[in-house]
Amino acid sequence: MRRFGSVVSVALLTGLLFAGAASAHHSVQSQFDIHKTVTVSGTVAKIEWINPHSYLTLNVKDAGGNVQKWAFELGGAGALRRAGMSRADRGGLKPGDEVTATALAARDGSNSGFLQELKMPDGRTFKFTTDPNGN
Amino acid sequence: MRSYRCYFITTAALLCLLPATLCAQEFSTIRRTVNAPPKPSGTTPRTPDGHPDLTGVWNGLGDNLLGVPNQIANDGVSIDSENSSHDIATGTQIATFPRNTTRGLNNEQGERAASLLRRVGSNRPIYKPQYWDMVKEFDQSANEEDPSNNCMPAGIPRAGIPSYIGQYPNSFIFIYPGQGGLIATQTMYRMIPADGRKHTPLEELDGTYTGEGIAHWEGDTLVVDTWGFNSSTWFDQIGGYFHSENMRVIERFHRDGNTLTWTATVEDPDVLLEPWTTTPRVALLNPKPDAVLPESLPCSERDLTHTVTKEHH
Repeated sequence: MRRFGSVVSVALLTGLLFAGAASAHHSVQSQFDIHKTVTVSGTVAKIEWINPHSYLTLNVKDAGGNVQKWAFELGGAGALRRAGMSRADRGGLKPGDEVTATALAARDGSNSGFLQELKMPDGRTFKFTTDPNGN
Repeated sequence: MRSYRCYFITTAALLCLLPATLCAQEFSTIRRTVNAPPKPSGTTPRTPDGHPDLTGVWNGLGDNLLGVPNQIANDGVSIDSENSSHDIATGTQIATFPRNTTRGLNNEQGERAASLLRRVGSNRPIYKPQYWDMVKEFDQSANEEDPSNNCMPAGIPRAGIPSYIGQYPNSFIFIYPGQGGLIATQTMYRMIPADGRKHTPLEELDGTYTGEGIAHWEGDTLVVDTWGFNSSTWFDQIGGYFHSENMRVIERFHRDGNTLTWTATVEDPDVLLEPWTTTPRVALLNPKPDAVLPESLPCSERDLTHTVTKEHH
C-alpha cells in the first residue's frame, strides 16, 4: 500500500509494464485491438508471474449470473515483482480481491485482454498506458 | 538471402529500444538508449593456469537475457541515437522512425517500424536459392512457425551469451535463463568439457538443442565448437533462419576487463552457401561483485492461439 502511494512509483510501474509489453514475443496488435477497450469487474482468481507475460485471471459474472474466467495479460514479471506487486502485504493483489480491469480487447473475441487500467479494492487505480517513459 | 543485401535501406524504427532499456533495469542500473558495445574497464582476471577467467554473472546490461538491443546487432544494425542508425558492415545510414517519448503505448506504426529495423542489417546468412522462399515464409509467419517462441529452448546460437559462466580447469558451465522478451523460451544449460577431447562422430550423436560443445583456448579466446544439433531451432533472433541437423557452430568468447565479446559462426553446408558469422555482441559483467543469477521465471505461452495475424515482430 504505502509503496504505491507516490506518483513516482506508479510512473515507474507504468514504464516497466510498457517495457514488457513492447518487447513482447509477438506484436501486440496481432492479438489485441489497440483501438478498442473492454472493462470488466470481478474477483481475482489467480495471479501468475511468468514468462513471456504475467497473467491476472478474474472470475467475472456474466449477465446470466454465470462465472466466466477472464485472462488479462501484463508486462514483465520481474519488474512487477520488484515493484512489490507479487506480495499482497506490499500492496499487491491477492486471490479474492474485487477489482475492475480495463484492457485492450482481444481480436479473436475471447475473454482476454491486455491490461490498461486496474482499479484495486481499496480505490487505488493503476494506469498501464501513458507514455513509454512512464511520465 | 542474398537479395536482402540489395534492399534499399531506409525504413525503420527504434521504439523497442527504450522499453528494452527499461526492462534492463531489472538486472542493472545502466540505462541505454543506443546499442553501442559497452567500453571495458578493469583488469581481466586469470585462473592459476594463466587463462582469462570468464567466471561471472554476465547480465550487466540485461541484453543477453532480454535480447534488445544487442539482439538487433546480430545482423549488424547499430543504434546510434534517438533517430539514427547505421548498418555496421556497409556504413549505410538508416532513417529511423523517431522515438517520441510522449507516444502512446501500443503505437502500431512504432511496432511495425521496430519490426523493420530488425531486418535491415546487411549481415545476413546466405541460403541456397532453393530455400529462399522457405526462409521468407518462416519469417513472415513467425507467430506460427518460430520453434522457440512457445517456451521451447532457443538453442545455440540463438540463445546468445550465457548469463552465467562457471569456469573450471577442464570444463565450463553456461546458464541461459529463459527469455520472455522478443521470444519466449525456457532455461538452458550447457556443460562444456575443455579437456582436449575430440567430438563424438556426428552420426553417433542424437540431435539436441544445445548439441555437443567442446571448448579449447586459442590464445586468450575461448573457442566452443558444437555440433550434434536437432533441427528444431532457428539460429538468429529473427529472420526465420532454420538449419539442418548438420549445423556446426563455432563460438568465440573474449574477455576484456568487465566485458565479454561473443561471436558465433554458423556452418551448415546443407542449407547455407557459406558460413555466417554474427556481428559481435558484448556482454557486461554484473557490476555487483557478489551478484547471483536470479531465478528464471517459468514460461507458459498462452497468446499464440489468440493471435490473428502471422507477423511476429
